[in-house]
Amino acid sequence: MHKFIAMVGTNSTESTNRKLLQYMQSHFADQAEIELMEIKDLPIFNKPEDKKVPALAQSMADKISDADGVIISTPEYDHSAPAVLMNALEWLSFYIHPLVDKPVMIIGASYGSLGTSRAQAHLRQILDSPELRARIMPSSEFLLGHSLQAFDDAGNLVDEQKVAKLDGLFADFQVFVEITQKLTHANAANKQEVRDLDWDKL
Amino acid sequence: MKLVGIAGSVEDHSYNRTLLKFIANHFSDMVDVEILDIQDVPMFNQSDDQTDGEAVQYLKRKIEGADGVIIATPEHNHTITAALKSVIEWLSFKIHPMSGKPVMIVGASYYDQGSSRAQLNLRQILESPGVDAVVMPGNEFLLGDVKQAFDDQHNLKDDRTISFLKETLGKFIKFVKVINSMNKKADDDDWQSEDLNATGSVPTTIKGLNMHAADWVDQATAKTNAVTGNTYVRLDCGVLTVDQLNYFLNSMPMELTFVDANNQFLYYNHQTDAKNMSASRKPAQVGNPLADCHPKRAIPHVKQAIHILRTGKTDLFKLPVPSNGDKCDMHYYQAMHNDKGEFQGVNEFVLDILPIVKYYLGLTGQKLVKDPNAKTDAVSGASSKATTPKPDEVSGASADTDEAPVEKSEAPAVDEVSGASAND
Repeated sequence: MHKFIAMVGTNSTESTNRKLLQYMQSHFADQAEIELMEIKDLPIFNKPEDKKVPALAQSMADKISDADGVIISTPEYDHSAPAVLMNALEWLSFYIHPLVDKPVMIIGASYGSLGTSRAQAHLRQILDSPELRARIMPSSEFLLGHSLQAFDDAGNLVDEQKVAKLDGLFADFQVFVEITQKLTHANAANKQEVRDLDWDKL
Repeated sequence: MKLVGIAGSVEDHSYNRTLLKFIANHFSDMVDVEILDIQDVPMFNQSDDQTDGEAVQYLKRKIEGADGVIIATPEHNHTITAALKSVIEWLSFKIHPMSGKPVMIVGASYYDQGSSRAQLNLRQILESPGVDAVVMPGNEFLLGDVKQAFDDQHNLKDDRTISFLKETLGKFIKFVKVINSMNKKADDDDWQSEDLNATGSVPTTIKGLNMHAADWVDQATAKTNAVTGNTYVRLDCGVLTVDQLNYFLNSMPMELTFVDANNQFLYYNHQTDAKNMSASRKPAQVGNPLADCHPKRAIPHVKQAIHILRTGKTDLFKLPVPSNGDKCDMHYYQAMHNDKGEFQGVNEFVLDILPIVKYYLGLTGQKLVKDPNAKTDAVSGASSKATTPKPDEVSGASADTDEAPVEKSEAPAVDEVSGASAND
């Protein structure tokens, strides 16, 4: 059974993105082990000169390294991913590189009708950058609009079409993880490159 | 023109901050740039609202007071920094100081891209409805290989880079003027929304009373259990009894009036009967909404005056009302703010400055003479055109402190007033 880290892309106490990940955790419990990861306690990234990351960032990185893949659920603030999620990804690419070649599935929930379309495109761009280099599942989007009305009292998705879509995407993601594990030819080179990337020596 | 600059970095050493400082110093003959600090802004969290905190309020005040904003962005992971994004999120959550504000984006990066992707991303963020800034199109200033870009004095080394930056900044200055004149057109009508009937409320509004009642003060006293007489009141820098406060305020050499942010008339220093006052007030008027206290024809001007004070276009608005040469009453309207800089109402004080002028002339052995260059049209000011309100003229009045807009019907020209005092 695959083991996934589900990153909650917000520090808000009330979040339909967290709800969505919790739903996946129980809904897919027989297919995969999903562990939620909160990001709110990381300090604001300030590129410390001693190149040390906080212990929390290191332990998050370790968990991601141990996982088969990462699911990120992002809200959309100002047409883009929230600062707090960008912040977590800054720490997770600062002299530690747990996301290199890691399979990533992007989803998102929003109160309005667009379902974080622009934040997801933004997040793709970020995860594609040279120090993150994640393997983002291509050609797939799960946009949950009107998220305040999307769940019943038990935390289940109400809309059957949305459930079917998520089921399909999650099954694809499991296959994508398998395929990615075969795309290893450049793996060593990729890891070496990010290790060699030292902005101080440019 | 005044701009503020924000460097999108909280690092101890930031090349983007160096770039902003260079712009501020090198082009100080073109424009005044103040660099703002974002170090103390906490990570945005919608469930821990810190909009009212000092760090966010400082940025709000500075941005609102500026004609435009320059943002210098680094690029982290193909996008802007979380620190900068967090600042923008605070400025688009409960408050929107960037709305309509002209913005110029610049950026520096270690590698040759010069923050190209971050700049594109920042554009997209700034144009989202919650931020609603007006970003100058085109004119990208991308400073790549930044480690080699500055000399020991933190000046840009390359002359062509400097001249391109100058050209870009010159265009931005024009852009700021165009955008702000467009915004001004919209602002010009805002004063109409001033509610002189005080139908809303502020936290201090005493509710459930008839504002028009002649005994409003007694009713309000009963309702709030207001203290009187020899009860002590702690003030900012002192302790006085209510009686002492009254002695103090009633002996002020001017007429004082307090109007709260809800446009309700709450107090005046009762020194004499209405007929002897420069701006007559009666005890029964206290508590009235401002609309009750002015003739209909004056309402547009009162709205305009309060609005420019409320919106911070000016903190002090002056209106001279000379009459027949024996008096020159100055009406001062001073905006009041709390320690967070929020508008709390208007302190109107009225005094006759002619005795002061005469005293000074006598003391120094001088006299007033006519100024042959005086602008005679200075008298055709805002208050003479009650039926066709033009906010420009009101703003003009507050800016032109030396030239008096007064009512033509009852007022002599400025130089006639001077003449009168010279004859003394």
